[in-house]
Amino acid sequence: MAAAASSSAAASASSSGSGRRNPAATAAGSADAACACPICLEAFKDEAYLDTCLHSFCYKCICQWVKIVASKHEEPLSSVRCPLCKTVNVSIIHAFDGETFQRHYITQDLAKRSVLISLHLLDAHELISQFYNTKDISDNMSSVQQYWKQRKYLRKNMWLETWLRREIQALTQDENVEAIVHHIHGVIESFMKRQEKPHASKKISLENTREEFKSLLSDAARPFLLGRTSRFVAEVELFLVSQMNIDAYSRVRVKRFKESASHLRREQDALPQDQPLEDHYLYFLSDQIDCVGGNGRTQGLPKYLRTRKTSIQRLDSN
Amino acid sequence: MQASRARLFKEYKEVQREKSADPDIQLICDDSNIFKWTALIKGPSETPFEGGVFQLAFSIPEQYPLLPPQVRFMTKIFHPNVHFKTGEICLDILKNAWSPAWTLQSVCRAIIALMAHPEADSPLNCDSGNLLRSGDIRGYQSMARMYTRLAAMPKKD
Repeated sequence: MAAAASSSAAASASSSGSGRRNPAATAAGSADAACACPICLEAFKDEAYLDTCLHSFCYKCICQWVKIVASKHEEPLSSVRCPLCKTVNVSIIHAFDGETFQRHYITQDLAKRSVLISLHLLDAHELISQFYNTKDISDNMSSVQQYWKQRKYLRKNMWLETWLRREIQALTQDENVEAIVHHIHGVIESFMKRQEKPHASKKISLENTREEFKSLLSDAARPFLLGRTSRFVAEVELFLVSQMNIDAYSRVRVKRFKESASHLRREQDALPQDQPLEDHYLYFLSDQIDCVGGNGRTQGLPKYLRTRKTSIQRLDSN
Repeated sequence: MQASRARLFKEYKEVQREKSADPDIQLICDDSNIFKWTALIKGPSETPFEGGVFQLAFSIPEQYPLLPPQVRFMTKIFHPNVHFKTGEICLDILKNAWSPAWTLQSVCRAIIALMAHPEADSPLNCDSGNLLRSGDIRGYQSMARMYTRLAAMPKKD
């Protein structure tokens, strides 16, 4: 039809004109827009949220739209713009029944990953990277010294490799870190092995053993973790000192994280007072535990979502 | 197919319910085909199109609202972004900036906005675009007003 006759002109107009013309958000919407899917205009069927702007649609409707958008791109999509506000979103949250929910990543069809696994990975990882962004306030130096003094490292921590993998995944934001984990784990293992030989440890002082361990580990990790290496080394040591499994250690760490977060709040007074951060992060913890336990439950959307919604509202009101 | 019908029927009901909501837009569905619509829009005030009533023809694809409707002017109009002969409209939201959250009603509003704010740099009507680009606002306005009188206003006997 007519559209074909001047498609090039139309395309150029689109690029030049899009800046000036109103986005859909302002013009779209009828009286009952608040309770109807903006795509089919009917009551929600399997209400789904976009993860960033939290606009809702029927799950089927938004998936169809994602397919249409994907069909117009040669490259596989990693995100989709909200049809209402054009915010970039990377996943669709759906099948939320008050307790559990599912998350559909836009890249998912490409990656062919299980929804639940990627969800766990991401939430647990988010906690870890947030944790690394706070200041370290470890105050149990005595247990660290005891660890080295009493040569507790001779008792192998069977969780170490799994724990390392998750830390490194979170820090590098990459799922496929087998080679790095293998390397770093190998370095730690061989160091521990050498310590087992009685003649080696007698001559060298306690502090030197510790320093040697740290510098070996730094050298191994630095090419991959760059600026976060020294913190990572400290965390590895603390994990070894704790002699806990991942589950228990995560709980301890969230406690530390809470402390440092409230510390931060006192310092900067930048965070809202009425909505404690702790709640927010504890939800990540519950996900994390599920992940470790290998049990398929997902908890925490309700509050997670609510927290985000309220924080958005708060920003608006400011 | 079924989804587009259902959605168009919703829009139809909405239009019936709020007939007087926007006095500048009158949307009429074809009696026998819900995929064909006609709209009558009033030329925005303080433009050369003021006082005119312009007819738009909507042809709606089966994948609507995932794909945009095809819209063209049935009334002749002198505007840089409207093809003078075919009535085709050059508007980003009808092409690659389409979002399924738009409705026929909101598309009409966007077209009214386009009438008031021509984009001279992407013309479908080169004569009109050149007048604007060369800064001859008066020339553009008088041409546009003449065509509004000729084509978009009731003829006086």
